[in-house]
Amino acid sequence: MGTAPAQLFPEFIVDTLGLDSVIGEVAASLVAAFVVGNIILAFTGVAGPWAKRKVTAAFTDRIAVDRIGPYGLLIIPAAAVQLLAKELIVPEGVDRPTWDIAPILLPASALLGFSVIPMGRIGPINLHLADPEVGFALVFAFASIASVSLVMAGYASSNKYSLLGGLRAVAQNLAYEIPLIVTAMSAVIFAGTLQMSGIVGAQTETLATIGGVAIPSWYAFVNPFAFVLFLTANMAEIGRNPFDIPEAPTEIVGGYQTEYSSAYFVLFYLGEFVHIFLGGAILAVTFLGGASGPGPESIGFIWFVVKIWGFFLFTQWARAAIPRVRIDQLIEIGWKGMLVLSFANLVLTAVIVGVIA
Amino acid sequence: MSLERPDTVDDGAVERTPDELEALLGDLVVDRDDHLNAPGFVIRPDTVQETLSILKQQAGYDHLSVVSAQEYENRYESIYHLKKYDDPTQEVSVVVPADKDNPVSETAEPVFRTADWHEREAYDLIGVEYEGHPDLRRILLPETWQGHPLSMDYDKDRPQIATLPEHANPLEEHHKDAESDTMFLNIGPHHPATHGVLHLKTVLDGEQVVDVEPDIGYLHRSEEQMAQSGTYRHQIMPYPDRWDYISAGLLNEWAYARAAEDLADIEVPEYAQVIRTMGAEMCRIAAHMLALATFALDINGDFTATFMYAINDRERVQNLLEDLTGQRLMFNYFRLGGVVWDLPEPREEFFSKTRDFLDHLPESVEEYHNLITSNEIFQMRTIDTGILPPEVAKNYGATGPVARGSGVDYDLRRDDPYGYYDELDWDVVTEEGCDNFSRLLVRMREVEESAKIIEQCVDLLEDWPEDERNIQANVPRTLRPDDDTEIYRAVEGAKGELGIYIRADGTDKPARFKIRSPCFSNLQTLPEMANGEYIPDVIAALGSLDVVLGEVDR
Repeated sequence: MGTAPAQLFPEFIVDTLGLDSVIGEVAASLVAAFVVGNIILAFTGVAGPWAKRKVTAAFTDRIAVDRIGPYGLLIIPAAAVQLLAKELIVPEGVDRPTWDIAPILLPASALLGFSVIPMGRIGPINLHLADPEVGFALVFAFASIASVSLVMAGYASSNKYSLLGGLRAVAQNLAYEIPLIVTAMSAVIFAGTLQMSGIVGAQTETLATIGGVAIPSWYAFVNPFAFVLFLTANMAEIGRNPFDIPEAPTEIVGGYQTEYSSAYFVLFYLGEFVHIFLGGAILAVTFLGGASGPGPESIGFIWFVVKIWGFFLFTQWARAAIPRVRIDQLIEIGWKGMLVLSFANLVLTAVIVGVIA
Repeated sequence: MSLERPDTVDDGAVERTPDELEALLGDLVVDRDDHLNAPGFVIRPDTVQETLSILKQQAGYDHLSVVSAQEYENRYESIYHLKKYDDPTQEVSVVVPADKDNPVSETAEPVFRTADWHEREAYDLIGVEYEGHPDLRRILLPETWQGHPLSMDYDKDRPQIATLPEHANPLEEHHKDAESDTMFLNIGPHHPATHGVLHLKTVLDGEQVVDVEPDIGYLHRSEEQMAQSGTYRHQIMPYPDRWDYISAGLLNEWAYARAAEDLADIEVPEYAQVIRTMGAEMCRIAAHMLALATFALDINGDFTATFMYAINDRERVQNLLEDLTGQRLMFNYFRLGGVVWDLPEPREEFFSKTRDFLDHLPESVEEYHNLITSNEIFQMRTIDTGILPPEVAKNYGATGPVARGSGVDYDLRRDDPYGYYDELDWDVVTEEGCDNFSRLLVRMREVEESAKIIEQCVDLLEDWPEDERNIQANVPRTLRPDDDTEIYRAVEGAKGELGIYIRADGTDKPARFKIRSPCFSNLQTLPEMANGEYIPDVIAALGSLDVVLGEVDR
């Protein structure tokens, strides 16, 4: 189809309310960011205290939260009050303010990533905050800030387990970020642009029609190998099984978050969940056609939500079923396996695209 | 290690009479002090290593089960209970008296590595000093403890005050000098993967383990002393449930029952033996299920489904045990000479429940194989990690699934039969891998063997004529075994050889009651498995050892 780039969310507010001044645009941007941020935080609020427990319980033959509210849903406010009311324990010898910044940095970096993610339309609104030409590079840059936060937490906590967790986080991220981005670049070769809307737009064309059903040219269908590679690297990037090595509670207690309690602990958990959703969002945009799906374009946001929650469920499934690899094995897989495969994929894609085009 | 000496004559299968052994030892034997289970040779305290070497190298006694020490009116005494891995019915006791005023005796550590911890315990609780011991510190009690609690002049009313400067916080210690670039890490006593209150003093080089030293005793509850102040007939039996409390209760009770019954010459009715055998194997399944569950936690992380699945299966067998004994954890079901009550009525219901469980079990085991053992990441993590070669395992006195995972074919149910095992058709499971994976596999296969045993027991019990259901032999209300009789008897517990040494002094309470805990010996092998490996491998090795701290510390 190749539609023209849709109107972005802040522009929509400006147009609707007629705010033509600079101040008006700034205000509109802030309002738009506030809305998008809260949508993501609401997802996290549902996922953390409730959905995760329910999903894990379903995998492990348990019932989980069902005492308060329908399906136990009121555990969400109850957990919020409980977690925030806990005492914030500041251990002796922690390196402040590094120790305080780390738990803020993690959710902030993940939330920042959503600023360039095209989350699809809901009615007349296109939930997309910004669409810079280097949006694709930007989102990986934002996501990578997370490792800085983990190192800060691990180093500043003055705890050996935290330090080990921080070191593991660095080693893991180095081993996986490169294959992750190199694999993502193969999608860029297909689309010919780093702009998010362009990458999503390029996936709307029909790849093939099987039995009357049009299969869109999502890059997961065009290049399933790159999709699997990206999915694996993404699991390591967000630190979930089989790659939850920086935390690894049965080995190093809680890794970088060992010494955090109360609000800081909540912030770390929040950050991790937002990070999972960001991972799902990047996956959706790069390989699953962004917000596209059956039905009118105006319900695209629903498809987007389905995709990122699908990814969330996938991480929970992995947690319930897959063993954790050892840190040296992970590094070996990353540097000796994934890196080679991702470059092979990139070169092959480039050659194929070059020959066809 | 001096395992391969040129003069080694390994004729372990040859059984020697006590007199031949005495001839072999020659002048080393100064007296004979036979025990009910084995001939006992009294030797001088400075010839321990020489005597044990001869017995190990030339007579094939390659298994030092336990070192039990005690204080008499006129002397201290250490007893080395030796056996053969090939045939544990061939036993010999080496009795080493030591001077009352200066109880010093040569260490056996260079001959049997396992003596390290056993002698430390004897030093800690009794006060015998072992000359030449590499590391003679207290093991169960804090370093600051005053006196030796099982010695005669111990003042138990004296308060033990461990002042702060003496009892230094290990966290504050600086385990680093200017030269080294290693890191000291306390794993435990509170840690998600130590399976209880175990403290591993670990020295790390990056993520690799340079040295790990288990620090035990956090769960020491004076079990031996409590047994010594209870009467044989009734007051001791509830305690064994509290050693290996991970549902292996009946197996522990059997250890005491076997030792005391042999000591007092009590014949147990066949019907009761079948019930005991069935109950004990149910306990073994429950214990192995928990081992599997927690091992999956260690390898997979704490959201694994395998954990809950295995706990679920354990719950089924736990329900059966509850029906049988009336208790879920602390069964107190065995009595000297039998069991406390017959199978629950209606019997048919119990049998059909048991059969349902047995029918379901193969499906569960298959599921575990699908979930974990056939998972490639799991194999990557466990195969060829935590290596324990068979010779090392024997040297440390490892028994149970730990030894059998290293290919040591040693199972007291078959090799030193008791109960009804020798009448039933089942196999001893061994694996040759010597690694974490093998130890897990041994447990999973043993569950299936236990199911076979239970099934045969149920068949037998179903057809047992009603007028021959005798659950209890005639046992006097008060038992007073003869003065100065001594016995060491062991059963195959969930974790390995669980033995009891009892010395009777003519009263209705034991004069010395020593527990040989399999976990205690097995845990000693951890540094052998862990040194040079990564932190996750230490956790996996510890999980595959399946220690229960209640039994390690007693």
